[in-house]
Amino acid sequence: MEPVLEIKGVSKSFPGVKALQDVSFSVGKGEVVGLIGENGAGKSTLLKVLNGIYQPDVGGVFVDGAPVRITSPRDAFDKGIAMVFQEQLILPNLTVAENIFLGREEEFLRYGLISKSRMNAAAAVELRKVHLNVHPGKRCADLTFADRQMVEIAKALSLDSRIKGDVTILLDEPTSVLEKKEIDLLFGIINDLKQRASIVFISHRLEEVLAISDRVYVMRDGKVVFETPAKSATIKALHQHMVGRQLHHEYYREARQTAATAVPVLEAQGLAKRGGFSNVSFTLHEGEIIGIAGVIGSGREDLAKCLAGHKPVDAGILKIGGKLASFRAAHDATARGIGFVPSERKIEGLVASFSVAENMTLAALPKFVSGGIIRFADEKKTADDWVAQLKIKTPSTATMVGSLSGGNQQKVVLAKWRVAGVRVVILDHPTRGIDVGAKEDVYELIRDMTAEGLAVVLLGDTLDEVIGMSSRILVMRDGEIAATFDAAPGKKPTQVELVEHMV
Amino acid sequence: MKMTVSREDIRAYAPLIVLMALVLAVGLYDSTFFSSKNLLTITADTMTLFLMASGVTFVIMIGGIDLSIQSVASMASCILAVGLPRFGLAAIPLAVLGGAAAGFLGGIVSTRLRIPSFIATLAVSGIVASAAYWFSSERSINISEEDSAKYLGWAVGELIGVPNEVWVGMFFLALLSALLGLTPFGRLVRAIGSQERAVMASGIDVDRTKIAAYALSGTMAGVAGILMAARLGSGSPTLASEFLLPAIACIVVGGTAITGGVGSVWRTFVGALIVQVVRIGMTFVGVSAFAQQIVFGFILVAAVAITMDRSKIAIVK
Repeated sequence: MEPVLEIKGVSKSFPGVKALQDVSFSVGKGEVVGLIGENGAGKSTLLKVLNGIYQPDVGGVFVDGAPVRITSPRDAFDKGIAMVFQEQLILPNLTVAENIFLGREEEFLRYGLISKSRMNAAAAVELRKVHLNVHPGKRCADLTFADRQMVEIAKALSLDSRIKGDVTILLDEPTSVLEKKEIDLLFGIINDLKQRASIVFISHRLEEVLAISDRVYVMRDGKVVFETPAKSATIKALHQHMVGRQLHHEYYREARQTAATAVPVLEAQGLAKRGGFSNVSFTLHEGEIIGIAGVIGSGREDLAKCLAGHKPVDAGILKIGGKLASFRAAHDATARGIGFVPSERKIEGLVASFSVAENMTLAALPKFVSGGIIRFADEKKTADDWVAQLKIKTPSTATMVGSLSGGNQQKVVLAKWRVAGVRVVILDHPTRGIDVGAKEDVYELIRDMTAEGLAVVLLGDTLDEVIGMSSRILVMRDGEIAATFDAAPGKKPTQVELVEHMV
Repeated sequence: MKMTVSREDIRAYAPLIVLMALVLAVGLYDSTFFSSKNLLTITADTMTLFLMASGVTFVIMIGGIDLSIQSVASMASCILAVGLPRFGLAAIPLAVLGGAAAGFLGGIVSTRLRIPSFIATLAVSGIVASAAYWFSSERSINISEEDSAKYLGWAVGELIGVPNEVWVGMFFLALLSALLGLTPFGRLVRAIGSQERAVMASGIDVDRTKIAAYALSGTMAGVAGILMAARLGSGSPTLASEFLLPAIACIVVGGTAITGGVGSVWRTFVGALIVQVVRIGMTFVGVSAFAQQIVFGFILVAAVAITMDRSKIAIVK
């Protein structure tokens, strides 16, 4: 089969991360290609190369066999490639029709003005294709989350009625926010589309990928590690290629997992946040790691933000060290000994233009001040100590933190909280976007912290990570704790056991 | 080792180079410009502008802006002129306090009510301007020779041949530079301007630092107002009008990034001298005082265009 869209030997690096390494990938006419891999495997980066958001460092992109440069999403659109993003890109203040035809308004001009009625009529046609029964003139802010996703899909599909040549539609985890009924509908649409379009389908739900795809690629650590016709693939085999190893205990340093002491450091009783979670109760002890598992919308992100003081809770009791605590802002939580390692490292974790030393002391600046003046020598010494202890690869403590690799940056964030002397650390996806080797270092550091009696709340990047690292696992679903698992070394629950309670 | 000059280095020292080039250019046009007396006088004349801009530098470094400074300086001059006959020396701290209070108010409104700083400080500017008219009964108030000699000698006299304004300017240059470079307040100002959310997530009360920066800006505008009144021998509700644009221009021309995070007080000092030399140069060449505002407008835009790496800014609001 002639590929309509192909990439050959593509590599793409970001500071500190090789996101894609020598990746080749093709989509045939009318083919549905599944793309799977763990978080950070490079799937989204690959799609962004195909969509013109990123330019490959090395390698070529081919449309209908001819080499092309895709310079922007708009350019991709003109070449017959449309993408539905994982993060919704629908503008909530515009109507459904305006969103679908964003950037194509000139098609509906009459006397220099946009004809709303013509645009709405055209939008209605697109909406019928996805069986979405909403008025094209409705503001997207008033739609449900799932309906907005369908609008986004309708927007990508609208390409089909516009471009004469071959059309490829890239779907980046389109099902993660959809209900079963809507997923079935989407799959029906994809089957219809195969007459005219090719589809690239990313999902982390392997059953779905096998059900809809003709061919499947597996990515790991920025490389394509496996390619197979869907017919001859099994979920088990795909999973092994995704993870790339038998789950081994060494990776997560399970031997160093500390048993929880009897000393409670953080007690939650009936915590609730409107629209986030409710009735959450647990006790975190010294030296313990509580992992929280759950899908997007399970409320675990909100819970982490509330524990770190970034959002206030609406109800419930929180005790730190046996004393009542109520957080209005992050500094209230820090004052009570809680540190937060955010998932958005570059935005919330670090001041990128600050030096390693300045970042490390940021949360504990008063400790380094005498008579109103910062004791710079003292600050440098402390930073030197932590750089040595955490084996941070940096030319010096005066180096700008933004120039370090992701793994080393994350170590600086961890060092910041160690310098501040917090007793509880909330880890929100602590290994997101860092290389495999650096991940192991981070696991080692987390074990170091619990060995010293710190307590940890972990929102893992993968289920594997949550299971491997945690002493206890809370599974959240629809804002409530659906199940609790003990996860002593050697007696860890399986992914399947957790997933049962997640969805 | 080979000496290399990077783009960064050029950016860092560009304001100094520009200043020297301008001084040279004006000096070539009129050689009397180079006399030490003339250079000292020019520096002395620049100090009110510098003081006014010095505090705003902190606000710009946290990523905000203070548009109230010219009203605040005018109000401080009125408080001083009205206060001197009644309270004597205490009128000086009173005028400074008035400035600090105005800055504090702008900071509170901006941070607590979450209103963009240009709106918050513009509103404060209106309030402060009205207050100044009220204090002064809507007219200019003379400071008597006697009061001036008794209380304001520190501002208008001379010490070892150098005008006292220059000493005052140097004092605040050193003080504010230390505040920015050596104290936790200065560290946090830089951090907030670079990545506010990371500072917040590090458990720091960001609002407190921000409010302090606005209060400092008001304080320095107050000090500038006092110095201005001392030099002119009167306070007036419009004393510092037409100072806002040049003051912002000083900061930006000095190389402090309007987007926050990067900057220093000495940069503002150099920027103020540049603005002053440009102004003198224009007067020499015969550009009217009114037309000079056009030039400052151009300089402002050009300086921002040069100092900012605009390629990294996707959206301009």
